[in-house]
Amino acid sequence: MIRIGIDVGGTFTDLVAFDESIGKYFNLKIPSVPRDPSDGVLKALKTFLESNNDKPVRMIVHATTIGTNALFGQIDLELKKTAFITTRGFRDLLEIGRQRRAEVYNLFFKRPPQLVERRHRYEVEERIDHMGRVLTPLNLKELDEILEDIQKEGVVSVAIGFLNSYANQKHEIEASGRVANRFEKFYVSASSNISNEYREYERFSTAIVNAVLMPIIDSYLSRLCSSLKEIGLEAPLFVMQSNGGLATAEVASRKPSSIVESGPAAGVIASAWLGGLIGEESIISFDMGGTTAKAGTICKLKPEIVSDYEVAGKVHMGRLVKGSGYPVRLPFIDLAECSAGGGTIASVDEAGVLKVGPLSAGAYPGPACYGHGNTQPTITDANLILGRLNQRVLLGGKMQIFPDYSRLAFESLGEKLSVSVEDAAESVIRIANSMMAKILRIVSVERGFDPRRFTLIVFGGAGPMHACALAEELRIKKIVIPPNPGMFSALGLLASDFFHDFVKGIMKTVDELEIDLIENSFLKMEEEGRMTLSSEGIEPDRMRFLRMIDLRYLGQSYELTVDAQKPFSSDALDSAIADFHSKHRDVYGYSMKSEKVEIVSIRVRAIGEIPKPLLRKKLTKRRTQKKEERRVFFEGLESWVETPIYERGQLTTGCEINGPAIVEQYDSTSVIYPDWSAVIDAYDNIILKR
Amino acid sequence: MNALKRDLTTIEVIKGALIYAAEEMGIALKKSAYSPNIKERMDHSCAIFDSGRRLIAQAEHIPVHLGSMTFAVREGLRYRGDLEEGDMLLFNDPYISGTHLPDLTLVAPVFYKSDIVGYVANKAHHTDIGGKTPGSIAGDSTELYQEGLIIPPVKFVKEGEIDEELSNFIKVNVRTPEVQMGDLRAQIAANNLGIARLIELIENYGLETVQDAMNAVMDYSERRVRAELEKMPEGTYTASDFLEDTGNEENPVEIKVEIAIKEGNIIFDYEGTSKQVNGPVNAPLGVTIAGIYFTLVSVTDPNIPINDGCFRPIILNIPKRCLLNPERPAPVAGGNVETSQRNVDVLLKAFSQIIPERIPAAGQGTMNNVSLGGLREDGTPWTFYETIGGGSGGRPGSDGVDGVHVNMTNTMNTPIEAIEAYYPIRFESYSLRPDSGGAGEWRGGCGIVRSWTLLSPTATVSILAERNKIRPWGLNGGSPGAAGEYMLRRADGSMVKLPSKCTLRVYKGETLLIHTPGGGGYGSPLKRRPEYVLKDVKNGFVTIGSAERVYGVVINPLTMELNLEETERLRSKMRGD
Repeated sequence: MIRIGIDVGGTFTDLVAFDESIGKYFNLKIPSVPRDPSDGVLKALKTFLESNNDKPVRMIVHATTIGTNALFGQIDLELKKTAFITTRGFRDLLEIGRQRRAEVYNLFFKRPPQLVERRHRYEVEERIDHMGRVLTPLNLKELDEILEDIQKEGVVSVAIGFLNSYANQKHEIEASGRVANRFEKFYVSASSNISNEYREYERFSTAIVNAVLMPIIDSYLSRLCSSLKEIGLEAPLFVMQSNGGLATAEVASRKPSSIVESGPAAGVIASAWLGGLIGEESIISFDMGGTTAKAGTICKLKPEIVSDYEVAGKVHMGRLVKGSGYPVRLPFIDLAECSAGGGTIASVDEAGVLKVGPLSAGAYPGPACYGHGNTQPTITDANLILGRLNQRVLLGGKMQIFPDYSRLAFESLGEKLSVSVEDAAESVIRIANSMMAKILRIVSVERGFDPRRFTLIVFGGAGPMHACALAEELRIKKIVIPPNPGMFSALGLLASDFFHDFVKGIMKTVDELEIDLIENSFLKMEEEGRMTLSSEGIEPDRMRFLRMIDLRYLGQSYELTVDAQKPFSSDALDSAIADFHSKHRDVYGYSMKSEKVEIVSIRVRAIGEIPKPLLRKKLTKRRTQKKEERRVFFEGLESWVETPIYERGQLTTGCEINGPAIVEQYDSTSVIYPDWSAVIDAYDNIILKR
Repeated sequence: MNALKRDLTTIEVIKGALIYAAEEMGIALKKSAYSPNIKERMDHSCAIFDSGRRLIAQAEHIPVHLGSMTFAVREGLRYRGDLEEGDMLLFNDPYISGTHLPDLTLVAPVFYKSDIVGYVANKAHHTDIGGKTPGSIAGDSTELYQEGLIIPPVKFVKEGEIDEELSNFIKVNVRTPEVQMGDLRAQIAANNLGIARLIELIENYGLETVQDAMNAVMDYSERRVRAELEKMPEGTYTASDFLEDTGNEENPVEIKVEIAIKEGNIIFDYEGTSKQVNGPVNAPLGVTIAGIYFTLVSVTDPNIPINDGCFRPIILNIPKRCLLNPERPAPVAGGNVETSQRNVDVLLKAFSQIIPERIPAAGQGTMNNVSLGGLREDGTPWTFYETIGGGSGGRPGSDGVDGVHVNMTNTMNTPIEAIEAYYPIRFESYSLRPDSGGAGEWRGGCGIVRSWTLLSPTATVSILAERNKIRPWGLNGGSPGAAGEYMLRRADGSMVKLPSKCTLRVYKGETLLIHTPGGGGYGSPLKRRPEYVLKDVKNGFVTIGSAERVYGVVINPLTMELNLEETERLRSKMRGD
């Protein structure tokens, strides 16, 4: 049986297939088709099937950026007309948002465009208070008039968000039922159904993001499913969600807000899976591709999660700029990002200072050395000048490169800085490294983790060239470079379970709490999870349910999530509170045992486990054979060194190499700095130690 | 390898690390603080200084702290400079720290091999520092002494330990001592982190290289700001605007500035500004400077790293005993929140003559401070404070932003669901005010309507706001934005209009209706593209009547289609062709 993972990125579509019977991989990389990503997916699958049509395919897992691209306003992904129905008096709540400016000193700052125009935001008479009591019943006559207008306006998707619906879903359920009954082809997203947390703006925004994406994702996935059948693939299609778990295409179509950051999550999941395999529990995952670098943290094999994410927002110095995108209150894998990829362009600013990024030459035209017309210097060109990349060909000989073009690009940069080509290249590398070190600090030091106690797993085509420099900067002692760094993210698609997250806002202090009601709410969410997982074909013995609870000190505005035991009793509550105090101490440096504790929300994660790829350990031991030598510059030595070059495919389990050295392969190049030694482990990973 | 050029890259890397260290201090402070004011509203700032007390890097979230930090460190250390390793100086005296009493400033020296190599500092707005009203921002004080506990620079931390006597002294003078101590501990933690980061850098790169980098980052910013100033035409430009009253007196108070651009420098002269007043709207010098820095950063390039270098081209003349440079014991609580806004309005108005293509019309020009509190049905006390956004001014090339905080503040609102869960009030509306944005080729942003009904027997409400009488100005032919309006609806349905600065008692079932000002418009409304007017009408930002009366755009109310012929005729008539 074969499992296939397909990761569609901005530049490449990566396919990884894993043959369970023989424990072997198949990798394929083709250019993406931005106009219609499913074209790239089908092309990759057809290519794979040409040589592998004898084996049955068990499942296809897909990561896609189509959701984000649509919200970023990509042409060809036009958002369909969407309406929003809310409580009388509050239709502008969405537009006001949190009333902040994303950029304090920018007098020309603009909010991201409203996903629902004001005239399509409707108010209906109804009101529920914070205890869930109905103060004013839902006015059905008014609602019907609104629905009539909505129909006339040619709206295809409707979001519903009422104040305090986290405390009582009644009116939202009634209104969605009314919409569904009236118009069969309508898409409906009720806020308490998508993310039932308190904080009206974020909850409404989540529902609206869901509503605008539903028509797009539904048509994309159903088209893709039928195309798969046409080429003879009957295997079910799954989609990676932003929380790192899988969902079926059907579930993803109903809740597309959960797949907006589908792609980046996969790399972190792959790192966690690899960590489990080789016995590394604390990992910083680092992915450097063509346009950006991304970092994430994994503690005890669990990726760190955030739930206050904004999609299509701006990133500044590694951090998301609050208020620049559309809030989605769902769990996302926590990532920091900066514009440093192989194609990132270096330039000199008005005051004569060297800057790296944010512009990128992408994969096409790509770095100057590709010879496709870009004449600006990139990070890849800098690596080429410093001898780190092969001077003739890339992609295992499939692609010719032109070092002269790199030099030409760097000559003009060097002139502006009055330095030599080599000095300019070294400066670009050092500045790019300092930017990337910063995102590694954001996900470690800033989150309260000491990077020296973590192992760095490095991937993406460009990552392994910068790994040693970054590890030295953060004083990390161990680096793992997986066998196919350029395909590693796609591998994560095969290493994930099904996850479905449920949440219910509570907003009560612990002494006001009715324990039975909480237990009932937990059971209800678990039942929802069970139903979703069964619909995805998961057997009951492969289902697991994690209960969590968000607590904070009364009056605070930030909550912490701790585990909750089953069944939820007063003992379970006490132990959750004790965990909260100690977690508060860990994260914020103090706890206040005498303060009142408040339960903000309760959460359930329903997990459907699927078997992971099992790699076989290899025990062969072969002598290491270098293929050539070339002069490479190492900034630590401040000099050029005649450096041995190895072919990754020739390095097998047990091989040892001492830095400085370079390992070349089809999809990546690893640079081993002086003072580092490498050994190939039983799974063909390069393990670097200092 | 060329040694000199090599160092330039090292300096670039250290520059980045210094800025990052200030940011990291800010994150540590926000994370470990207790009060939502710091945690959620982010009313705090952190900064790193060199041994010459020059600002190297600052992470600020509230513009009013910008610049006032430099002032605070310089003045605080002048007052008490004998710092040993492990000491930290605490103070809030507005005449030394530069901002109002609730802002507590904490400064620490950084020692390396027994020499002071720099300073780290932070400033955080505390929820209470004593005085006559909860929250320490009364709208009717006549002397500083009524506004809270005044702390001159004292060694709050000695050899790494909090001075218990000072700590007890502060605790008994404030309403919520545990919150204040929690936030102060967070301030200490932030400074300790800054010290550690600076020492790490020195250990990694050597003192001399780090100092070179500090000088380089300041020189770089200076070059960038001077380059921006050189693009501006030389000359002198004046502007003035008014606060509508002082809280205690009805008369308007003038702020007047003359900006001169000369030989790469920029001179700010406030000669002619009103004398200091007998109400809490005096702005301490730090707040005034913050307004100048905010404006300069905004009109040059916000991407220039903010440090001492940016401000080297500035020459100041702010007369003593005027509204913007008052003398003890003038009260100053509202200087941060209201006067700072008007100062920026005046400065931007002056800049609109220098670089008209880069200056918007006036924004709402107030923060709409509303504090309320009382007893619940069960007798437990509650207090709540918020500031409310309004319209930002129309801009050359784009409309103003609707319902947003402008210029000197940028705090978030509190979710309605949180307020209703904690406090005995129920919201009636939170929406945008149609027709409140000043008309113009580029419309001013709309103000906000925010209203709630009291559910408990009674409560006290304090309002500190502006622009209820004098509307935010338009530019280049644009109309002013709508004035703000505060109203109380009695239980019997009758309406009472409230002044913009007042304290009153409200009773169960009464509703406070707050209408915040809209932004001014930019350019003549008759030049606005009819399609934009139609879109605004369809979306309800502009009424169909105003479209015709103000914009000269004729829309068929039945089909909601433009009548371009009629529009041209009407506009030509309105222009007086």
